Amino acid sequence: MRRIVSTAVLFATTFGVAFAGLRAGERNLPAAAAQQKPDATEVKIDNFSFGPAELKVPVGTTVTWTNRDDIPHTAVSTDKSFKSKVLDTDEKFSFTFSKPGTYEYFCSIHPKMTGKVVVQ
Amino acid sequence: MSVNPFDLKTVLLAKHAQHVVLIHFPIALFTVAVAFDFLAQWAKSRSLAAAAYFNLLLAAGFTIPVVASGLAAWQFALEGQKLKGILLMHLVLGCISAVVIWVVFLIHLRARRAPEKSLPTYRLSLEAIAVLLVVVTAHLGGFLSGVNGPG
Repeated sequence: MRRIVSTAVLFATTFGVAFAGLRAGERNLPAAAAQQKPDATEVKIDNFSFGPAELKVPVGTTVTWTNRDDIPHTAVSTDKSFKSKVLDTDEKFSFTFSKPGTYEYFCSIHPKMTGKVVVQ
Repeated sequence: MSVNPFDLKTVLLAKHAQHVVLIHFPIALFTVAVAFDFLAQWAKSRSLAAAAYFNLLLAAGFTIPVVASGLAAWQFALEGQKLKGILLMHLVLGCISAVVIWVVFLIHLRARRAPEKSLPTYRLSLEAIAVLLVVVTAHLGGFLSGVNGPG
């Protein structure tokens, strides 16, 4: 009888720990999913360049351009799929990429400034 | 996508490269004209005054394509959106500079058409103010175009 009780306790403890671990794993799921998302969804505009110049993101990602330069800039895609207004210092522009593809863009004030967003 | 100012095709076809190229002509012509006019006043030289007049004539003439190409750049590159900050300041000062260059030229033209009257001395103050305006506008333009940066 004592052996049965101890077996039952051991089973219950094992089951309990396993269940608790499973719940903890569930709680951590969103965090893990967030880690899978690319963290570089922000493009900084500084010193007459886009950084990073090339960005790879999954479909549905919102990319934000922030002008850290002292000079106004824009972010305009060559296929006209997105186009920012003139961004003064610290101003932002966001665009959500809903279709896969390669989006090349440039600053319409300084056409030498180019960048690329690859949506996978 | 890069713009080479020495490539004629690029200069003629690029949507806003013309302004950056053309702007150097009235700046140079006007500053040289003012220098000649100051020298003509100091040396009482008719030939220097004539040199100042013809430089002013060309400078005033060049302001037309420069202002037109600047406005075209605003329309083509920025699609005429509302300007603010440095861009707005550059536009306003550029237009004022063009008007003052024309006023200075018309003062010289008027004096030239009436040789019995000498050029008013107040024009020198106006020319100095105009040079200052041109310098500030050009500085803002250079800042915008990124001549001091890698762009």
